[in-house]
Amino acid sequence: PTPLPGQDVAPQRVEIHKLRQGENLILGFSIGGGIDQDPSQNPFSEDKTDKGIYVTRVSEGGPAEIAGLQIGDKIMQVNGWDMTMVTHDQARKRLTKRSEEVVRLLVTRQSLQKAVQQSMLS
Amino acid sequence: MFSRNHRSRVTVARGSALEMEFKRGRFRLSLFSDPPEDTELQRKLDHEIRMREGACKLLAACSQREQALEATKSLLVCNSRILSYMGELQRRKEAQVLEKTGRRPSDSGPPAERSPCRGRVCISDLRIPLMWKDTEYFKNKGDLHRWAVFLLLQLGEHIQDTEMILVDRTLTDISFQSNVLFTEAGPDFELRLELYGACVEEEGALTGAPKRLATKLSSSLGRSSGRRARASLDSAGGSGSSPILLPTPAVGGPRYHLLAHTTLTLAAVQDGFRTHDLTLASHEENPAWLPLYGSVCCRLAAQPLCMTQPTASGTLRVQQAGEMQNWARVHGVLKGTNLFCYRRPEDANTGEEPLITIAINKETRVRAGELDQAQGRPFTLSISNQYGDDEVTHTLQTESREALQSWMEALWQLFFDMSQWKQCCDEIMKIETPTPRKPPQALAKQGSLYHEMAIEPLDDIAAVTDILTQREGSRLETPPPWLAMFTDQPALPNPCSAASVAPTPAWTQPLPWGRPRTFSLDAIPPVHSPRARSVAPLPPQRSPRTRGFCSKGQPRTWLQSPV
Repeated sequence: PTPLPGQDVAPQRVEIHKLRQGENLILGFSIGGGIDQDPSQNPFSEDKTDKGIYVTRVSEGGPAEIAGLQIGDKIMQVNGWDMTMVTHDQARKRLTKRSEEVVRLLVTRQSLQKAVQQSMLS
Repeated sequence: MFSRNHRSRVTVARGSALEMEFKRGRFRLSLFSDPPEDTELQRKLDHEIRMREGACKLLAACSQREQALEATKSLLVCNSRILSYMGELQRRKEAQVLEKTGRRPSDSGPPAERSPCRGRVCISDLRIPLMWKDTEYFKNKGDLHRWAVFLLLQLGEHIQDTEMILVDRTLTDISFQSNVLFTEAGPDFELRLELYGACVEEEGALTGAPKRLATKLSSSLGRSSGRRARASLDSAGGSGSSPILLPTPAVGGPRYHLLAHTTLTLAAVQDGFRTHDLTLASHEENPAWLPLYGSVCCRLAAQPLCMTQPTASGTLRVQQAGEMQNWARVHGVLKGTNLFCYRRPEDANTGEEPLITIAINKETRVRAGELDQAQGRPFTLSISNQYGDDEVTHTLQTESREALQSWMEALWQLFFDMSQWKQCCDEIMKIETPTPRKPPQALAKQGSLYHEMAIEPLDDIAAVTDILTQREGSRLETPPPWLAMFTDQPALPNPCSAASVAPTPAWTQPLPWGRPRTFSLDAIPPVHSPRARSVAPLPPQRSPRTRGFCSKGQPRTWLQSPV
């Protein structure tokens, strides 16, 4: 697949197997963004009007890290559901459905250098 | 060259006898004034009329609001189908009359307009995001405002509806499970989508009164101008731009209002999910108004018949690539973007691999001609494809002039279809046959607020406490001791500065009332502080937004949530 404009790397498919923690299924990362959020505060996006969902941290050794998810990734889809036009809460819900043990994410990622630059600038 | 009004990549040797044959062979296909087609439409019309009578009776017999909503919906769908079929019958009759009395087509006239093949168009996974304002959660506590919504879809004269869904504040979007399939679409199709909504509670009931009062007070108009404004709003609300649905008969039943609409065409078709804009059609004054975000997500797929059905088949002789004199006899099947050459006709059905597969796509060039050199086998077809820098040509022979003619015709039609159906001919899009919908269940599934609360053991304390503290606020003299557990922010290390997190402590922020929470923690490494563990994840903070229609205000926060 060819890279999207603004991204240096082709979209990645990341398959995360949730980890059962008592009553809960966790993925081990945090998200930021949403159409109801202020995009100018997103340290990872190249375009500061981008209201998409971004990975803001990845727990060490957690299911997301194992699956190859990286901080700064932009989540485009979860199990086929669009994530580019959702509120923050909708995004959280899409990821934490109790009936799903596996989530397949489609993410796009900037090159490593840019990601480092971005996080240093914020 | 042929005088065609489409770009053709199929050429015939100029001045050849074949060319003459083709020109003469292009008889115009007469439009059948087709009794069978019309009978079918008439039958559907009669069916809808019967259904409508049934729906009327059912509506009259309804005692409960939800049943009345379903019956009204059925009635309205029937009405609109009746109108649509009647319109179509009328159109067909007019076309027949014109055909008979119109100019007779002659051979010397312009060649018949080639018409593109039909296709199946399927829309599924429809989802309409909602955008609730904070204040919605805390006004009218205790009485949950609910709406009944459904989608009406029209393509040509066919109208289909989705199931009816009950919507309330706890839903973030309206998701329809329906898979809607239209089977007779042309590439110029227009799929009109309309969202209808009705209040579940009786209109004019006390619910909504505070909201209406506030609206009245804040948008103060003089009495007479207000009356006029209201009158114009009411009349505008239902008519829009000729919505498919007819106004409710004055039966005293629930009233559906058009909330939003959009039209999708071939350009919107993609083998994946896309988001489209919705044109919002009702105002906040309208009792059925819902806070729609303004878009609809869906998957719109199309399968032109030329991709899924064989368009030509017959015996061919194909020249094996690289071997000049070796002609293999095969059974060719033209289907979609390939010409499959099977060893035997049966192989096409048994799943045997073809001997050769020749790609036929938008870039393929086809040439028919008479080879003088080959004796006894003059009817050849050359198919050329570009692979990078190389051009690969397959030469095929047909058995007779007529056979060549029909292969060429099929190829012309295929190229035309590809130019019309565009991206639908790149690859076959998968369409699932919709399962028959279960008949609407009687209410109780979508119960009251209390059923939907889905209290989870770890959530309830947090949810209840938050509501209480929000309500009571400073009135609590001595906060209960356990309240202290919820005053801490959960320890969320994040690369963003604290500026991205609103400064107020979590427990004073409003939590959506009754929204089921999936309680999740980052577990590795485990969060050691017992206090942080029992706190709900950082709640979605909603900055106060300006009131008003379609307020996509200025969000102030950039929230982060662990999943």
